[in-house]
Amino acid sequence: MGNPALRTEAVWKVFHQEAEEVRAVRGVTLTIQPGEFVVLAGPSGSGKTTLLNLIGGLTRPTDGRVWVDGLELTRMGSRELARMRLEKLGFIFQSYNLLPVLSALENAEFPLLLRGMEREQRERRVRELFQRTGLAGLEHRRPGKLSGGQQQRVAVIRAVVGEPALVLADEPTANLDSAASDILLTVMEELNRDLGTTFIFATHDSRLMERSRRLIHLVDGQIVSDQWQESRREQ
Amino acid sequence: MTLPSWWLIGWRNLGRNPRRTFITALGLAAGYFAVIFMIGFADGLKVEMIENGTGLMTGQIQIHSPRYRPDRSLYETIGSRAGADFEAVIRTALQDPAVVAAAPRVYGAGLLSSGQSTRGGMLMGIDLDREPGVSRLGNSLSQGRAPTPAANELLIGTEMARRLELQVGDEVILVAPAADGSMGNDIFRVCGLYRTGMAELDGAFALVPIRSLQRLLALDPGRIHEIAVSTTDPWLAPEAGRRLAAELAPLGVELEVLDWTGLRPEMLEYALLMGSWYSIVVIIVFAIALFGVANTMLMSTFERRREFSVMLALGARPHQILLTVISEATALGWISLVLGVAVTFPLIAWWHQYPIDLSWIYGDLTMLGALIRPVLRIEYNFPMSVWTGLALLLTAVTAGLYPAARAAWMPPADTLSGL
Ligand SMILES: Nc1ncnc2c1ncn2[C@@H]1O[C@H](COP(=O)(O)OP(=O)(O)O)[C@@H](O)[C@H]1O
Ligand SMILES: [Mg+2]
Repeated sequence: MGNPALRTEAVWKVFHQEAEEVRAVRGVTLTIQPGEFVVLAGPSGSGKTTLLNLIGGLTRPTDGRVWVDGLELTRMGSRELARMRLEKLGFIFQSYNLLPVLSALENAEFPLLLRGMEREQRERRVRELFQRTGLAGLEHRRPGKLSGGQQQRVAVIRAVVGEPALVLADEPTANLDSAASDILLTVMEELNRDLGTTFIFATHDSRLMERSRRLIHLVDGQIVSDQWQESRREQ
Repeated sequence: MTLPSWWLIGWRNLGRNPRRTFITALGLAAGYFAVIFMIGFADGLKVEMIENGTGLMTGQIQIHSPRYRPDRSLYETIGSRAGADFEAVIRTALQDPAVVAAAPRVYGAGLLSSGQSTRGGMLMGIDLDREPGVSRLGNSLSQGRAPTPAANELLIGTEMARRLELQVGDEVILVAPAADGSMGNDIFRVCGLYRTGMAELDGAFALVPIRSLQRLLALDPGRIHEIAVSTTDPWLAPEAGRRLAAELAPLGVELEVLDWTGLRPEMLEYALLMGSWYSIVVIIVFAIALFGVANTMLMSTFERRREFSVMLALGARPHQILLTVISEATALGWISLVLGVAVTFPLIAWWHQYPIDLSWIYGDLTMLGALIRPVLRIEYNFPMSVWTGLALLLTAVTAGLYPAARAAWMPPADTLSGL
């Protein structure tokens, strides 16, 4: 049996703000297997972003341990963490965060560029994903010349293009209207199904929660429910 | 990621705020312009001083008997008391490619008396045909006419004329110790007045046809004290002087060949001092520019901190962030340099061609005993232009380092949270 895509063990994150102590994540223990599509739900301030940052190695936990694809992040130095992010993780942000000076294609292939992959190989992979996500023909546009939904799809390609063990999406539809949100979710579900990419998708949009198969509820930094449900995906 | 990609990102980043890029580049270009101009002026002043200091009277090279200087004894003529074939020396000297002209000279010290008063003065015997090739003394006539060769006629400076209350056409009695031990004396006629602008000359020197002075001083026509030599460029003189010493050796006459750097060491010191000044000017100007550029870079990297965080989150290494910012700074440096060169050189070329004449403000200027024309003259200084260009690029890169380091080691989560 292979490694789980993600395992956390009693992870805590406490922020110290002036005299106040903010317990953003309180003892989260969680296992996600490869190929899962997990929705992380919870109201604003429940600790979703903090938890994703801990999993992504962008923040260090106050206590507890985190493994991605069997590798323990909590023991890594910053250099190893950067390499782990490059090889094992994909990120999708709420505000797309494409690099404005790069074209859609260049943005999408950025992680492959960082890995030193040959240009031809990079382009072949990225173009195929543009085709698959309905972005063909927009390869050479700068992000400023794309709609929000198109930008976020480019960000999705950027996240999955390196075939990471885990893609972390932090409220990726928060800035999109419902039509664009539906398209984006469908794209991600298809990538999950066809490529087997593992997703953790943080949201507080109840419509999207309904469409997920595994739904984890976070309240005040704690998991209050973790349920499998029949997907009501409309095809 | 390969280098060209980071370079590309840095380069494209410059295009995001073209106005800011242009203004920053303009600032650096102005620094370049300022440095090259200051150096050009300093060089112009230096060249002017050397050309004038050597061209007015000294000449770029002088040939004497080795015992003539520093006492300037009347007896120590070239070839000693017997004299020598100095024309052969002149002919040989003229064969050197750097030598333009050469002229013989005789010196004596004496008294000049008008009816009213008597003053000591230097008597300088010049060859009226050849002297203009080596100095401007003979060209400084302000009244009257040049003496007739071998006649008892002379030119005195306007200052001496004033002191002796002499006018063109007046007679003056010259009394001078002669080489035969007697006192030479004779009546000369003032055929003209000269004016160089340097009081030390205009008040002290009487210019006499060489043959007439030799007669007064009881020197044979073959006995002279000095051969003044001019070269195509003052800076070629030291080398030409060494060559001449070797070329003249076969003539079998005891000679000392000195170029202006030996005759007027203070001028050389000044020129060398100027050289060290340049680096100070370059350092000051670009130190100022450094803070300006660093400030702009800091601003533009701060605005983009989210992008750097995204790159770091995606797995980029801090040194790669560093590379993009340094690439950007380097690109900025190149733009500034191109801009600076494009503005600076046409202006310098024009200014070099048409120096600005300030004589209507200043009249005559003297510096280290050299007369300087009051012109704003600019010289090209190619090596300094290259060094200044390198300094500019270095400034831009250095200015990028601190902002780059700040950008590269930003904690990604802090900037990403709440995006
Ligand atoms: N860097 C930080 N410093 C202090 N408090 C923080 C920081 N990041 C998050 N928090 C706090 O932690 C809690 C969880 O925040 P967050 O993880 O952003 O929640 P969510 O993403 O679910 O909205 C909030 O109370 C927030 O104010
Ligand atoms: Mg959040």
